[in-house]
Amino acid sequence: MNPSSGWCSGCLRTIDEIAGWSHMSDDARRAVWVELAHRRRQASA
Amino acid sequence: MTAAERLPPAIRVLERGWLSSNNVLLFDDDGSATLVDTGYVTHREQTRELVRRALQGRSLARIVNTHLHSDHCGGNAELQRAFGATIHIPPGHADAVARWDEDELTFVATGQQCERFTYDGLIEPGSEIRMGGFAWQVHAASGHDPHSVVLWAPGPGVLISADALWQNGFGVIFPELEGESGFAEQRAILELIGSLAPRLVIPGHGAPFTDLGAALQRAHARLDALSASLERNARHAAKVLVKFYLLEVRKVTMQDLVDHVAGARYFRVINERYFRMPFDEFVRRQVTELVASGAAVMDGDTVLDSGG
Repeated sequence: MNPSSGWCSGCLRTIDEIAGWSHMSDDARRAVWVELAHRRRQASA
Repeated sequence: MTAAERLPPAIRVLERGWLSSNNVLLFDDDGSATLVDTGYVTHREQTRELVRRALQGRSLARIVNTHLHSDHCGGNAELQRAFGATIHIPPGHADAVARWDEDELTFVATGQQCERFTYDGLIEPGSEIRMGGFAWQVHAASGHDPHSVVLWAPGPGVLISADALWQNGFGVIFPELEGESGFAEQRAILELIGSLAPRLVIPGHGAPFTDLGAALQRAHARLDALSASLERNARHAAKVLVKFYLLEVRKVTMQDLVDHVAGARYFRVINERYFRMPFDEFVRRQVTELVASGAAVMDGDTVLDSGG
């Protein structure tokens, strides 16, 4: 995990998102995917 | 409703990626819990925090490993330190763990790492263990790894299938890379799983699933294709191992990748048997194929994991 952002350095998800992933609805997962695209841009900026 | 939501409340799946296997937490009758498989060593802090949250104050009494590949037991030592859990492993690699023989434990052959741990007990094929309030049968499941087991709970109809069956395929059949039998054993475990007919499968990687028939059909088709061509199995293995390393390091220069891969026995064996080309050319070829399939990206002379 990246200590400053709180994101997994590989998948850019938070601990809560990883922990809850298998119980999320498909819509909730898609929402995370959209958010991940933003984070990826931030992380590479 | 996702398949995971159909699980009994005493079973909680922490779905990870490919670098780390899934972790299955089972809440036992006495207020403690058992964890099946612990992920890769570079994820150990993340695994510890995920488990800590899921435990919600309960204690972690036991860790059980389906097999001792680095992506399934890399968090053992960290979780034992953090929670004081005892560690229970299939018997086949017990002596190798006691001696910490990294060669026999396949970490040298795959170019992967694992933190040393000690075990407290064995889970013997043919025996039963109680986890999450259910009785689980331990079944031998060689093929991907000669000493792997799968765990079957007839009560709730749930199978923890490790790398013997995923929703789309199964783990690399490593023994065949070195001329040992693995396809026949893989066929046998697929047939066994078919006869157990689980209502729900928790695989070692990927989401839990309920459509067993379709998964078995895909697995059998894949096994037929691989066993028809040892070379295809070996090419697949080489790409999987390079991709795993990219997942671990995320980016690496081509030269460092070649140097790393040269230290891993499986790569040398695969090249000697099937590619027979200069070693750096062999490694470049794997990268080229990973880039073509979108699994890696090149930036100058640096190879990056594509995140996909």
